[in-house]
Amino acid sequence: MWELIQSNRRKSLVLFISMGVTLLLLGYFFGSAYYPDGGGFIGIFFAFVIWGILSLISYFSGSKILLAVSGAKEVTKEVHPQLFNIVEEMKISASLPAMPKVYIINEAAPNAFATGIKPENSAVAVTAGLLARLNRDELQGVVAHEVSHIVNRDVMFMTFSGIMLGSIVLISEVFLRSLWLGGGRYSSKSSKSSGQGQMIIMIVAIVFAILAPILAQLLYFAISRKREYLADASAVRYTRYPEGLASALEKISDSSIDLKTANKVTAPMYIVNPLKPKGQKLTNLSSTHPPISERVRILRSMSGGANYVDYQNAFNKIKRSKSPIIPSSGLADQTPIGLKEASITPVALGLNKQTKRDTGDIMMKVNNYSFINCSCGLKIKIPPDYKKTELFCPRCGTKHSLI
Amino acid sequence: MNCPVCKEPLVVLELEQVEVDYCTSCAGVWLDSGELELILETDEDRNRLVNLFKEATDVNEKSYDCPICGKQMRKYEIGEKGKAVVDKCRKNHGIWFDKGELQKIVEFGSVNKENKIINLLKNMFWKSMPLAENKISLNIDGGNK
Amino acid sequence: MSGLIIVLVVVAVVVLFVISMYNSLIQLRNRVKNAWSQIDVQLKRRHDLIPNLLETVKGYMKHEREIMENITKYRSQAMDAGTVGEKAQAEGLLSGALGQLRVQVENYPDLKANQNFLALQEELTSTENKISFARQSYNDQVLFYNNKIQMFPSNIIAGMFKFLQEEFFQVEDAKEREVPKVSF
Repeated sequence: MWELIQSNRRKSLVLFISMGVTLLLLGYFFGSAYYPDGGGFIGIFFAFVIWGILSLISYFSGSKILLAVSGAKEVTKEVHPQLFNIVEEMKISASLPAMPKVYIINEAAPNAFATGIKPENSAVAVTAGLLARLNRDELQGVVAHEVSHIVNRDVMFMTFSGIMLGSIVLISEVFLRSLWLGGGRYSSKSSKSSGQGQMIIMIVAIVFAILAPILAQLLYFAISRKREYLADASAVRYTRYPEGLASALEKISDSSIDLKTANKVTAPMYIVNPLKPKGQKLTNLSSTHPPISERVRILRSMSGGANYVDYQNAFNKIKRSKSPIIPSSGLADQTPIGLKEASITPVALGLNKQTKRDTGDIMMKVNNYSFINCSCGLKIKIPPDYKKTELFCPRCGTKHSLI
Repeated sequence: MNCPVCKEPLVVLELEQVEVDYCTSCAGVWLDSGELELILETDEDRNRLVNLFKEATDVNEKSYDCPICGKQMRKYEIGEKGKAVVDKCRKNHGIWFDKGELQKIVEFGSVNKENKIINLLKNMFWKSMPLAENKISLNIDGGNK
Repeated sequence: MSGLIIVLVVVAVVVLFVISMYNSLIQLRNRVKNAWSQIDVQLKRRHDLIPNLLETVKGYMKHEREIMENITKYRSQAMDAGTVGEKAQAEGLLSGALGQLRVQVENYPDLKANQNFLALQEELTSTENKISFARQSYNDQVLFYNNKIQMFPSNIIAGMFKFLQEEFFQVEDAKEREVPKVSF
């Protein structure tokens, strides 16, 4: 398993270093554009410092920031026993050293993500819409996918490369803006020193400032896409039930509700890209996730077993290519793992009303509402800031005491 | 969410998978627009409801603020003039019924049996509204013990 | 003189080798024990859940006396079992009987709507999943440990210090489980 992480790391490292080089080049050109004599190195220094500071912040409080930005709330087992159980099952199956914290996001759009640079200190967050829509097997598939992002150290890589992307965007923006503001100062300076060479550096810097964020984004997305297949493969290995994840992915992509709290940098963290490009054709380069239909088809054509080899075979069959998705060390482990059958607890869902009600109830539980089921059939949900100690059911008049 | 009249927290009541917010102090009811859409599934139903509403002009009842957006709500008459006045959010967040209004609407609704909202409200609050016909309507609805 | 030094060095190397081999065997055996305790926790949890489940189900299911009796019987068998093999067998039978119960539940719509029952059923399902996931990692550890005991040269040290092979936790095929064998 460790080798699998190592090899995964090496490939991503190449992409990660490319992003780093882009960042440093950016610093160099900007520095030179302002101060031709040795300014390039000052620029590199500043680019590095900015990236370093942002990385430190994200290392120490990245998960907290991400969870806060997405509006996730930590929940106890009482709020959603099933979700809690499933996370614990996946913890055992993936041999995580500690139980991840469980978060619910107050959103109707179904989606999920994982955070935690170290597996000892990780979290899994799912939206209320996801809980309302998926049955047990499907939810297990999604949680398994998220847990494998933690195990494969994807969260760590996506956090650091996300920060790098953020730094590049920030520096380019600052440079381009300062050109508009300080244009006069610059032109007087260039006329004093050797004009032409300086002019070329200036142009290169501007072109780079425009291209670097685009380039960095493509690299960031490339890192992200590669990891999705591996996370799917690991999810099957953990659950031994590819159909669960497959039908969960279908349900998530069928939903027409948009996730309100996602943005370009946080998008790759989710199980399904929350920023759906409506009718966009150029999905190959600019997408953070592989197309869902393809992920589903690969999962559905797994028939032999739940091992990495089985996923790679299914992948080769669907994609008609032999590009290795699973590092060779993962393929070497050939101990057969049989597939599981569906669990016999079908939950009849899909009713619009029921779904909306369930989502609402989950969110009320998260927000500490208490619930009373009156004997007349009326359900009373009381907010935590309700002060009275008793209330009468408006339907049948029964007195309920609240302690 | 707080009651627009007494500013106290509203409790949520659920019956037949529909929710309303209810004030235990003044017995007023808030009907969220999302819930209205759940009850009235077709456009036809929704139009029928809209047609019931007429903007009230000379009403000297105190105006309240929408519990969701905090903006002042507008008064609407339901049915004939002077029958019942409700408060509706200008941004369509929902409708507020005072206790008296609710009672009038339920009475009014007995004329128009198909109206799902009124049936639901009637079913939800039959005990707290001591109307003679409530007992009858409960029998008609049947099954809801 | 130099002969003596060579002999001492050889002895020292052999002693160090034995110590490190011994320690690694201890480490592997502890891992097996640790993995077993993971399963054991979940098995105990299942035993604790069963009385509650039967209590809830009793009021609804009038015709499933036999299944319920079997569950009680296999549960106490499993709790009394000594070796891993015995335990695995009893737990397998218990899983089978619980599976039969789960199939029968479909015939009782009132039971299926009971919140208490649904909560118990979720706990039971989850516990069974945890058992089966923990079993996998236990068996992996056992395989690793047993291989070490059988293979040269660690087999010599294992024999010297009486490291015994551990049993796999094996449950029969899912299909076999559904129909417990009846012996006449």
